[in-house]
Amino acid sequence: MYFWQDPQFGDRMITLMAAFVLVLQITMVAQRWLITNIRAFAVQSLLLAGIANTVAYFNHAPHIYAAAALTLVLKAILLPVFLRRLVARIEIRQEIEPLVNVPLSVIISGLLTMLAYVVAEPLRAASGPGDSAALGHNTLPVAIALFLIGFFMMVSRRKALTQVLALLSLENGLFLAAISLTYGMPLIIELGIFFDVLVAVMILAILVYRIRETFDSMDVSRLSRLKG
Amino acid sequence: MWPLRELYSAGLGAFALGIAGGIAAHFGLRSAQRISSLFSVFALIGSLLEGAAAVGGLRSGGAILWAVPSGVPYLTYVVRLDALSSFFVLTLALVGAGVAVYSAGYGKHGAAAKNPALFGALLNLLLAAITLVFTAGDVMFFLIAWEAMVAAAYFLVVTDHEQAESRNGGMLYILMSRAGTGMLFVGFLLLAAPAGSTDFRALHFTGQHLPGGFGSLAFLLLFLGFGVKAGIIPLHIWLPAAHPVAPSNISALMSGIMIKAGIYGMARVFFDFYGALPVWAGMIVLLVGVISALLGVLYALMEHDLKRLLAYHSIENIGIILMGFGAAMLFRSYGHPDLAALALIAGLFHTLNHAIFKSLLFLGAGSVLHATHTRNMEEMGGLIRRMPATALYFLIGAVAISGLPPLNGFVSEWLTYQALLGGFGATTEIARVAFPIAGALLALTAALAAACFVKAFGIAFLALPRSASAAQARETAPAMRAGMAMLALCCVLLGLGATWFLPVFDPITNQAFGIAAGHRLVSGNGAILSAGSAASGTVSTLMLAVTLVALSALPLIIWLIWGRRGRSVTGPTWDCGLPGLTSENEYTATAFSKPLRMIFSVLFRPRREIQAEYEISPYYPKAIHFESEIEPTFEKNVYEPLKDGILRVARRVRWIQAGSLHAYLAYIFVTLILLLLFAVRG
Repeated sequence: MYFWQDPQFGDRMITLMAAFVLVLQITMVAQRWLITNIRAFAVQSLLLAGIANTVAYFNHAPHIYAAAALTLVLKAILLPVFLRRLVARIEIRQEIEPLVNVPLSVIISGLLTMLAYVVAEPLRAASGPGDSAALGHNTLPVAIALFLIGFFMMVSRRKALTQVLALLSLENGLFLAAISLTYGMPLIIELGIFFDVLVAVMILAILVYRIRETFDSMDVSRLSRLKG
Repeated sequence: MWPLRELYSAGLGAFALGIAGGIAAHFGLRSAQRISSLFSVFALIGSLLEGAAAVGGLRSGGAILWAVPSGVPYLTYVVRLDALSSFFVLTLALVGAGVAVYSAGYGKHGAAAKNPALFGALLNLLLAAITLVFTAGDVMFFLIAWEAMVAAAYFLVVTDHEQAESRNGGMLYILMSRAGTGMLFVGFLLLAAPAGSTDFRALHFTGQHLPGGFGSLAFLLLFLGFGVKAGIIPLHIWLPAAHPVAPSNISALMSGIMIKAGIYGMARVFFDFYGALPVWAGMIVLLVGVISALLGVLYALMEHDLKRLLAYHSIENIGIILMGFGAAMLFRSYGHPDLAALALIAGLFHTLNHAIFKSLLFLGAGSVLHATHTRNMEEMGGLIRRMPATALYFLIGAVAISGLPPLNGFVSEWLTYQALLGGFGATTEIARVAFPIAGALLALTAALAAACFVKAFGIAFLALPRSASAAQARETAPAMRAGMAMLALCCVLLGLGATWFLPVFDPITNQAFGIAAGHRLVSGNGAILSAGSAASGTVSTLMLAVTLVALSALPLIIWLIWGRRGRSVTGPTWDCGLPGLTSENEYTATAFSKPLRMIFSVLFRPRREIQAEYEISPYYPKAIHFESEIEPTFEKNVYEPLKDGILRVARRVRWIQAGSLHAYLAYIFVTLILLLLFAVRG
């Protein structure tokens, strides 16, 4: 048996890539530069596409290839390019000014990762290590961690654009969870979700632009002035 | 067999044409004014067709017309005309026809003239919605029709939306209605859940089988929910706010038939959905009835706004109807179906009668308002010479609402008395005491109502005009007079012909108590009305009318015999030695109600302020300012604290709404994490 036919090998590959995905997520928390953040997101999406491919290959589930391809095209290429153009166009300061400072953010991210493992524990125990269906079972806690940290970034960041990025990485977490739990949702749902994300980013981009036009800043805290 | 289905759907079709045509004309034609009376014609045709369908429904004793699945779960369009529905549709038809004829003349005046086509469309919508409320045979469909009725009525109330008073009245109305509908929703769901169906047929006599306290809870919720619409005290505050500001023909519809939708709902729940209820339920309804009747008429006495006065009288009459219903429930609890049937007939008959004479009175008030441009009675007076027809119709309505023989109000109030008096012998314990007290208070209410209408008619129509606008008043358009004449005729016919009308109630009491009681109340070849048993009273409105005519002939005879020999001298009214009596010397409405204000001062808590301006001595004042007002008890002691409480809580909760995106995200985030931890621990 060659190693590329061995499910054990696939499992390790997936675990490795999931670990990188998590590291990239925490990198995004720790990074202060917007462009680097976008790059990290692109790489993260690339790895996600890799995971999807691996799952599709070892489970003989051809429709996941489509999801992987979509992830690759949309999230790893199109959206980062689009976001970089937006950054160039609205000429904002490159530095991210989070509400919570970086060391504390990293510590909170670590705590959230722990929480994710605690939460996912019952599900891991239910499937058991030797199970063939357990392919990629290590990825569920990673997915939850991605989701939580993405959410935390949305809460802690000031600028609308960085919140868009956070939302996208949060969505990556959802995608990873879907892959690791059910080996991919039906294709039609995947398509729906991708379309959703695309539209959401479009709308948010327009919103970002408008906020900047109106307030001369992207700081969404200023929106509180709209309150009656 | 009448073609029920065809008549019913043709009636709804006429309303639909009125709605569609009105909307089309509003948006399409610039000269919608010219065809505005056309929409009243649709309303008239629709009312008449629905009336024919209702008569057919009463004769055949109930028929399912449609049960159309909607495709949406839990919603089936069930339309049915059983005896109870038919009776209320008949009420709607009588009132609707009168109001429609009146509207043909009224549409060109007042606030309604601004958008006459839209006004016509809404009028038709209101009639159609109430028809559907009365005939819906499914909970969800009923609630949809109910909300359509509320919405249509709201838009009609705020017809004159440039006035802040209209907007406030409309807002109060819709707020109260929303709260009422909420209670109805929960109450109906409690009833329908164990029955496993939302069809009214499936709910027949199921209420008392509900587990635990749910039966009582559903009863209370439905009673209060329908009570908001009916205007029971203390849920009545929207009535005196919304009725006066609406155009008068709409006030007539609202007071005549829309608040009866609440009565219909109660009749449906008490006597169809519940086969038996504990004694306390009947006692509550009776108590609420007594309180509403008495307080309603007392507040009406203190009003000088003609339409507000009528609105308070609606509360009073709803109270009288509920006294009948409460008595019927108590008799059922104590096992006297014959007396229960009598009380139910009394309540339902009063519903019909009140619908007719109250819409008549509101239409009369509308004519007066139209002629004098004021609702304040203190600025009217002398209208009987200027608007004799309107005065006659208003007088007929006033006699009917005061419960004076031989008109229709007398018959139903008499039946209510008989039912209440019958309760003394038939029940035990506390009810035995409650019945005579309720009867006595009903008598007091009727007497006070008579006093109130002596005031209303006397101040508004008699003596000299109290203002320039009253002096210039002119009789109203023929169509308006015709509308009032129709309703006045109904008052007379239902009074004199009560014995022929009463068998109409047979199918209803048959459905509720299993006995056809209506025709038992009639004896003496249809000339005499009796309260069922030999021991109780009998009365004949026809004989009373004949006697009245005969008695009025007596003075004529006396005059013919002796009077011509007598000597008559004409002189001026004694003016206490001060020359020149003017309209300012007339008895005012405030003065008229002063004795009652003093007797019931515990309730009214009147506030009076007199300021005299003088230069030399207080004995020679230059001017005197007089101010008198009564305390709005319920607004001040119930609704003000409620409003303050809600605002206080709202203010305290408001900091959550920080307006910061981050804060909102953080709320969701923290909730999520707490939920995750909870899930892990559990």
